[in-house]
Amino acid sequence: MRAGTAPPAPEKVRPRSGSPRRAQPADGGRRKREFTTRRGLTIAAFMAPAALFVAFFTYYPMIAGSQMAFRNWNLSDLTDTSFVGFGNFKAVFGDPLWGTVLSNTALWVVASIVPQLVIGFALALWLRRRFRFRGLYQALIFFPWAISGFLIGILFRWMFNSEFGVVNDLLMKASLIDEPVAWLADPKTAMVAIIVANIWYGVTFFAIMILAALQSIPDEIYEAAALDGAGKVRTLFQITIPYIRATLALTVLLRVIWIFNFPDIIFGTTGGGPNNETHIVTTWMITIMQQGDYGRASALGLLIVAGLLLFSVFYLTATKEKGVRR
Amino acid sequence: MNRRNTVVALGLALGLTATGCSAMGGGSADGTVTLNMVESLTNPARTELLQRLIGDFEKQNPKIKVNLVSPPTAQADQKIQQMLQSGSGVDTVEVRDITVGPWSNNKWLHDMGPDLKGWPGWSQLTENAAAAAKDEEGRTYFVPYGFYGLSLFYRKDLIAEAGYDKPPGTWDELLQQASSVQDKAKRRYGYAFRGGPNAVSNVTAVIEAYVADRIDPADGYRLTDGSTIFSAPEAAEALKTYIEIFKKAAPPSSVAWGYPEMVEGFSNGSTAFLLQDPEVIATLRKSKAIKEEQWTTAPLLAGPGGKAVQPLATAGWGVAKGSKHKAQAVKLVEFLSEGEASTTFAQENSLVPILKEAAEDSFYKTGPWASYVTMNENPDRYLTATQPRDVPWFTEWTQKADADVQRVLLGKMTQEQLLADWDAYWTAKRKSEKS
Repeated sequence: MRAGTAPPAPEKVRPRSGSPRRAQPADGGRRKREFTTRRGLTIAAFMAPAALFVAFFTYYPMIAGSQMAFRNWNLSDLTDTSFVGFGNFKAVFGDPLWGTVLSNTALWVVASIVPQLVIGFALALWLRRRFRFRGLYQALIFFPWAISGFLIGILFRWMFNSEFGVVNDLLMKASLIDEPVAWLADPKTAMVAIIVANIWYGVTFFAIMILAALQSIPDEIYEAAALDGAGKVRTLFQITIPYIRATLALTVLLRVIWIFNFPDIIFGTTGGGPNNETHIVTTWMITIMQQGDYGRASALGLLIVAGLLLFSVFYLTATKEKGVRR
Repeated sequence: MNRRNTVVALGLALGLTATGCSAMGGGSADGTVTLNMVESLTNPARTELLQRLIGDFEKQNPKIKVNLVSPPTAQADQKIQQMLQSGSGVDTVEVRDITVGPWSNNKWLHDMGPDLKGWPGWSQLTENAAAAAKDEEGRTYFVPYGFYGLSLFYRKDLIAEAGYDKPPGTWDELLQQASSVQDKAKRRYGYAFRGGPNAVSNVTAVIEAYVADRIDPADGYRLTDGSTIFSAPEAAEALKTYIEIFKKAAPPSSVAWGYPEMVEGFSNGSTAFLLQDPEVIATLRKSKAIKEEQWTTAPLLAGPGGKAVQPLATAGWGVAKGSKHKAQAVKLVEFLSEGEASTTFAQENSLVPILKEAAEDSFYKTGPWASYVTMNENPDRYLTATQPRDVPWFTEWTQKADADVQRVLLGKMTQEQLLADWDAYWTAKRKSEKS
């Protein structure tokens, strides 16, 4: 997708090379229908392996998983998997952790995405300029995106370790703190630690997407703006951002969904603790699954899907109303 | 696009689908049987050792081939559950004391009791191993390959510096010695406290030591009068001492410490005491911060009555109910549970062995292993009690209990509330189990 560019002018319909008879068959389009059916069959046949694969390994488990949400599906005893209606949903809503998990999820998404967007944008603007070793810098900046989220979680768990971690060591050497901070032992600082880890990881994605979009802006526009006397700030807000608005909107949407669904870093760093106070919905769902209660975990999974669907619809509608081109 | 293309495409589709569904069987025309064996507590060195032992088994049994499946440890039990639930693809499987309950409950495991009736290996097993191999109703869902038992790792040099000539023998002595060693300014700490994942295991170890005189050996969470250990007045004393250790002799961040942080804290030289399994011995021997002469182990800490309870944890090999080659799968379990294979597996994984003969080996009588011999030679002082790790709700319990321990450490729950809550939890669960 070349995001941000003006919609292309409709192509002129030109007759294909060949006789007009070929373009409009004398048999009233019968040959064309035959051709389409066979072609369609071939396409369907080629698509069949992938379609079957997706059907068996994605949709079937999804549907099977969904029905678990309405059953007493506990791995500790599968001899009774009777229908329980909305019992699992009630159990989720009635859990004392539900409120904490919801507010943590909101904090996790918002506090991660805003700095990711701002820093990612700044990096993309910086990398757009031509300078020596630009390729090397790009590779270094994009590197975190290639690392497993769980591994990042483990790395940050050690970095934030109060006694042996590099974070406290640096802060003490810089005289910013007098004694080690027990980052992961306090729910508030633990939340800060996992959000910092997530920001570090996600900045890259914004940088990649925004840089790609920036490269689609013709230089002539900047030159014209410069001739008209536009400063850097005005250029940024009146040319750059409007031009790549569609990419920004889509990237933010994707990241919201991914961050929402991203338990890896939290599991690697705090495991949802201390005192279950750094759980987000997805880490909590996995914890419930680990307890063997697939019914309750599936109910929570369905709630997550419903929440994300609703968000996507609202978000897309809101950005469309503002005239964002996709 | 022509008809030939369509046929090719359909053929391709069928071929790919068929390929995906192949490789399911386990037998071949010449009578060779292929067993699928799945391990749970995977690590590269262990997998290599298992491959070696499997090689020996295959040499002895040329008509049996074994395909070892090693899922990553973090997801292994879930993967095994899915495989067992599907009813195929698993023959021999690693069963842990925490998984045997739900798996046997769901009828996914084969009772090897009748198959092992005349097995000579029974007489070679230690008392603990023979007991762990059978459930309350005498069924054998797994034969253990070893035990993970706790002992106290301690720094000889640090306690000498603090003026003590011998390691602590009781929890009170640990509190005293660890507090003396702790010096935050030097970043030196007394005890590698477990406040994170599996914190509950150490809390119950303390409580069990305090109620040792009245504990039910068949259920470490129950007293002989049928009530829970958490309801005993001694439990309050035990918890108080344990939390004092956290306050006076442990790093504040240990609220979140799990296995890796505890071991790191001891092996990098910053912590003087560590309560852990013997598997840590191998890790500590590789430490560059502390030399082997600086540390050793002491037996498990006792309560005021001078007794301790060994909370033995175990795992072993079982056979899937859905296996089509049960006889061969049981043969593999027998092979791994006797003789050289069993001894090698226990020694190389730093496990307390299951064979009487192996326990007599000099390997287990020297250095850090000596404390295990002391404990085994003094069963009146170091009692053993089976932990109820096989109940289907044990994972739910540990997750709940771990969070409760952190709540107490963070001051969000009182010690009394914790004990009352745990007592109510186990009383209710036991009642529902009976009904």
